Amino acid sequence: MKQYILQRLLAMVITLFIILTLGFLMIRMMPGSIFDDYQDLPADMEAVLNAKYNFDKPVIVQYFIYLKNILLHWDWGISLKMYPNKSVWSVVRGKIPVTLYVNIFSLLISLPLGMLAGISAAIKKNGSVDYLVSFLVVIFISVPSFVFATCLQYFIAYKAGLFPIIYDANAVGAAKFHSLVLPILALAFSPIARVARYLRAELAENINSEFMLLARTKGLTYTQATLRHGIRNSLVPLANIIIPMFTTIMGGSLVVENIFAIPGMGGLMIQSINTSDHQVTLATLMFYSLISVLTILIVDLSYGIIDPRIRIGGQQKV
Amino acid sequence: MEPIIQVKDLAVNFKAFAGTVQAVRGVSFDLFKGETLAIVGESGSGKSVTIKTLLGILPKNGHIASGEILYNGNDLTKYSEKDFYAIRGKKISLVFQDPLSALNPIMKIGKQITEALILSKSVDKAHAKDRAIELMTQVGIPQPEIRYDEYPFQFSGGMRQRIVIAIALASNPEILICDEPTTALDVTIQAKILELIKDLKKKDDLSIIFITHDMGVVANMADRICVMYAGRIVEYGTAEEIFYEPAHPYTWALLSAMPDLDTEDELFAIPGAPPNMLQPPKGDAFAARNKFALEIDYEEEPPYFKISDTHYAATWLLHPDAPHVEMPESLAHRIAKMRKRNGI
Amino acid sequence: MKIYNKEEYAGIDTSKLRLIQMDESLHDQKFETKPIGFFKDAMLRFKKNKASVVAFVMICIIAFFAIFGPMMNDYGFNDQDLNRINMPPKIPAIAKFNIGIFDGGRVLANRRVVNLSDTSQYPEGCILAVENRHFVNNIEMCDVTVDYYRYSGISDEDCFWFGTDYLGRDLWTRLWRGARVSLLIALVSVTVNVVIGVTYGSVAGYYGGRLDLIMMRITEIINAFPNIVVMTIFILIFGTGIFSIILALVVRDWIGTARLIRGQFYRFKNDEYVLAAKTLGVPDRTLIFRHILPNSIGPIITRTALAVPAAIFSESFLAYIGLGLKPPEPSIGILLSDGQKVLLYFPTQVLFPAILISVLCISFNMFGNGLRDAFDPTQRGV
Repeated sequence: MKQYILQRLLAMVITLFIILTLGFLMIRMMPGSIFDDYQDLPADMEAVLNAKYNFDKPVIVQYFIYLKNILLHWDWGISLKMYPNKSVWSVVRGKIPVTLYVNIFSLLISLPLGMLAGISAAIKKNGSVDYLVSFLVVIFISVPSFVFATCLQYFIAYKAGLFPIIYDANAVGAAKFHSLVLPILALAFSPIARVARYLRAELAENINSEFMLLARTKGLTYTQATLRHGIRNSLVPLANIIIPMFTTIMGGSLVVENIFAIPGMGGLMIQSINTSDHQVTLATLMFYSLISVLTILIVDLSYGIIDPRIRIGGQQKV
Repeated sequence: MEPIIQVKDLAVNFKAFAGTVQAVRGVSFDLFKGETLAIVGESGSGKSVTIKTLLGILPKNGHIASGEILYNGNDLTKYSEKDFYAIRGKKISLVFQDPLSALNPIMKIGKQITEALILSKSVDKAHAKDRAIELMTQVGIPQPEIRYDEYPFQFSGGMRQRIVIAIALASNPEILICDEPTTALDVTIQAKILELIKDLKKKDDLSIIFITHDMGVVANMADRICVMYAGRIVEYGTAEEIFYEPAHPYTWALLSAMPDLDTEDELFAIPGAPPNMLQPPKGDAFAARNKFALEIDYEEEPPYFKISDTHYAATWLLHPDAPHVEMPESLAHRIAKMRKRNGI
Repeated sequence: MKIYNKEEYAGIDTSKLRLIQMDESLHDQKFETKPIGFFKDAMLRFKKNKASVVAFVMICIIAFFAIFGPMMNDYGFNDQDLNRINMPPKIPAIAKFNIGIFDGGRVLANRRVVNLSDTSQYPEGCILAVENRHFVNNIEMCDVTVDYYRYSGISDEDCFWFGTDYLGRDLWTRLWRGARVSLLIALVSVTVNVVIGVTYGSVAGYYGGRLDLIMMRITEIINAFPNIVVMTIFILIFGTGIFSIILALVVRDWIGTARLIRGQFYRFKNDEYVLAAKTLGVPDRTLIFRHILPNSIGPIITRTALAVPAAIFSESFLAYIGLGLKPPEPSIGILLSDGQKVLLYFPTQVLFPAILISVLCISFNMFGNGLRDAFDPTQRGV
C-alpha cells in the first residue's frame, strides 16, 4: 500500500516536471521576442535587456537557470508586461485564493444537491420526479457554464437585483460570499447534473440487486434497506466521479471569472496570454497542471482506500 | 396433522411490456410441521414466484390475481408491506440461490449477520456479536472470530452460502425456504451444504420448502415433492411415490433426464421449450412436448386424479377410460435398479 | 384445486381419450417473427424515443440555416456600417403582430413628454409605448419605447433581423456563419478524433501484449496534462486559425475513443468467429476492420455524436479566452464573448448565440443518448 502511494507521488512529480519543461520550451521557441511591441527600442538597449533576462543565452541554458530558480529560490521569474518588475510569484499568490474559493465551493454545493436529485429520481424511478430530473440533467450537462453565468448575471443580478453584477474585490466574509454566489452557482450546474445522473443510475441498479432483496427478507423495511444497503453501495464509487469534476470546474472558471470580473487565476492567464507575458503564463499553466495532477492522485488513492475489494483484495479465498 | 401453511389456488400475474404474464395459475399445496417439501420444475415454471409471494417480495409489476395463503390463521395474500415485517426473517426466512450477489459486497459479513439478529430482536446489541459468532460456528465456518470482520469476496462460494444460511437462521424462524441454494455451487460443495441444511433442520426443528430443478438434490432431501410446470402443480406425493411410482409424463421426463453413470441408454432431453406464459395454451400446458399426449389434452385441462391419499397427478392418462400407458422402458429399468440399491 | 370425481366429469367426450403424438418427433416451436438487420432494429428503437427524434430534427434545422442562413439577406458577415451600430433585432413580418419581440424596440429612458409629438425627434409611427410617466422639476418625463429603425429613419427593407453589433455588422449573417464555422470545426475535429482513436485502439487491443502496454502508457502520459493547458500551449505555438484550433481540440480527445475501442477488442477478439477466420488465413488488417470492429459501430457512432457538443464547448471556450479565430471571422464563441461585453445594454447580442449554442449542445446530447439507447438498450440510464 505504501509502495502504491509512493509510486503515484513519483508519477505525479514526473508529470509536472514534463509539463514544465514542455511549456518552457514551447514558449521560448515561439517566434518573435517580447520586445517586438516596443518599436522604437534602440539596439543597444535591447541587447542590455536581453542580457538581463538571459534571452541571449541558448534555450537549454535558459531552461536550467529557470529550473534552478524555481527549485532553490521559488523564483518564478518577473512579470515583464503586466506588472512590470513584480515577481511572478507575488502576482500569482494574490490571485490563487479567490479562484480556489469559487471552485471549491462549487464542488461542495454540487455534492449534496446532486445526491439529493439523483436519489429522489432513483427511488421513484420513472415517476414524475425522475423525468424532471432527467430532463434538467440533460440541460445542465449540455449548456456550457459560461452561458449559465451570462444568464444568471443578466436575469438575477441585473434584472432582479438579488446579487451584485460583478465581484466586489473589497468584500469580506458574508458579503464576499454573497458577491460570489452567482459564479459559484454557474459552475455548479454541470457537476450537480453529473452527480445526479450517476447516482440515479447506480442506485436504480442497486435497488434491483439481490442483496437488496436479501436485506428485505431479513426484515428490513424498504426505506431501511435502501438507506443502509442501496445508497451506501452507490456512494462508494462516487469519489471516482466527483474529484475529476474539479478539473472541469477549474476549466470553466476561466471564463466565468472573466464574466464576473473576478481577479483570479483565470483572468490572469487570459491577460498574460494576450499580453505575451510568458513567465506569468507559464506559472498559471503550472498551477492548473498541479491541481489536475493532484486530483488524479487523490482519485487513485481514494479508490484504493474506499473500496474494500481493492484495499484488501487479492488475498486467498477460503 | 394440521399444516402450518396452506396455499389454495394461488394465481399470480405480471404486467409486462407485451401483456400480462400468468406466472402462477392455480397452485395449491400444504406444508406440514417438521417436513421438507420440495418444489421441482424447469426454469420459468413459477416456483420462485410462488415463494416470493409467500414472503411478499414480488417485484412491483407482480400482483396476486386470486387465491389464499393461510399461515397462523392469517391470509398472507391480504397482508400489507407493514404486516410482512412480522414475518420476514422472524417466522419465515429465505436462502438465496447465488450467495455472491445476495450478500452486500462492501459490508463486513459480521455486520450483515448482526443486522438480522438485531432486527428480529432475538438478541440485544451487546450480545449480537457473540450470537453471530455462535451462528457462524453452527453453520460450519472455521475461525469465526477472525472471519467476522471480513468481506464476502474473501470467502469461497460454499462458505458464502453458509453465511447466507446463518443470516436466514439468525432469528430462529419456523419455516426456511431455500431457493435453489446449491445451483451456483460446485458439485462437491453441494453435498456439504445439503448436509448442513439437514442437520440444522433436525436441530432447530425447522420446516423447509426446498426449490430446485435438480431431481438428484431432491432425492436426498425431500419428504414430499410437488412437481411444477407452467405455473401449475402437475403431480405431488411423498418422495417414495414420486420416485418409484411417478404417474405424470412430465415427471417421467424429469426423472429420465437425470444423468445416470451406469446406464448405456441415450441421454434423454425433453424436446421443445416451456410455453409462452403471455398466452398460456389451452388444456394441458405440457401437451405440445408430451409424447403421450391425448387429444383431450389440447382442449381441456386435466383435474387431479387420486392415486393414493398422499399421491395425486393431473393427467388425463389416469382417467378410467384412457388408454393404458406404461412409463418408458429406460425409466422403468432405472427405477428397478434404484429399488434394488435401496432395498425396497 | 380440482380433484377428479366421476359425476362431475361424466360429460366429457371419452373418444378424445386417445394418443395422438406417440410416433411424431416433437421439436421446438418455430420462431414466429422474422429477424431484422442490426441497423433497422436500432433505428426502430431510435424512432420510438421522441426526444431524440426532436433533437435530430433540431440539428437538421440548424444545419440548414448554417448553410443557407448567411445567404438569406443581403448583408455580408463583415460589412461594417458605423451609422448602424447596436441596432435591436427586427423582423417586419413578426413586428406586425405587435407582440413586443423582433419589433426593433428599444427603451429610451427619461424623455420629456412634450417632445413626443415632435416628428423631427420622433418620426412618424416610431413610438411603440410610453411608460413610467413621472414629474421631475415640474416637467413631465417618461420612458418611451421606440422602434429604433423608424426612429433612425431606416426603412423596413433594410432592417437587421437579429440586429447589429458594435461595428454595425448584421448579426443574423454573423450568427449563421459562426454556426457554420463552429460546426465545421466540431465535425472535423470529432472525425479526426474518431479515426485516430479507432485505429490506435484497434491496434492496441488486437495485438495486446507489450505493444498494448506501451501504447496505453503513452495515452496515460498525455492524459495527465489538463485539457486547458494543452490547448493553450498548442495555440500559443501554432497561432490561432481554424487549423490550429482543430489540432488543439484533437490532441487529447482521441484517447477516450481509443480506450473504448481497445476495451471492445478485448471483449471480442477471442470470440470463435475470429478464431475461425484466422485459421482460414484472413490477414490481420481485414480481421480488425471487417470482423471485429463492426461490433463496435454502435458505441463509435454514439461517441461521435456526444463528442460534438464537447468540441463546440471547447471552441467557444478558446474564443472567450482570446485564443479563438482571428477577427473578423465569427464563431459562436466569439459572438458570445463580443456580446458579453455589452450584456447589460444590448442583451440580444448575447441572447441569440447563447440560445443557439444551448440548443445545439442539448440536441446533440439528446441525439447521442437516443443513439446509445437504440444501439445498446442494456446501457440505459447512464
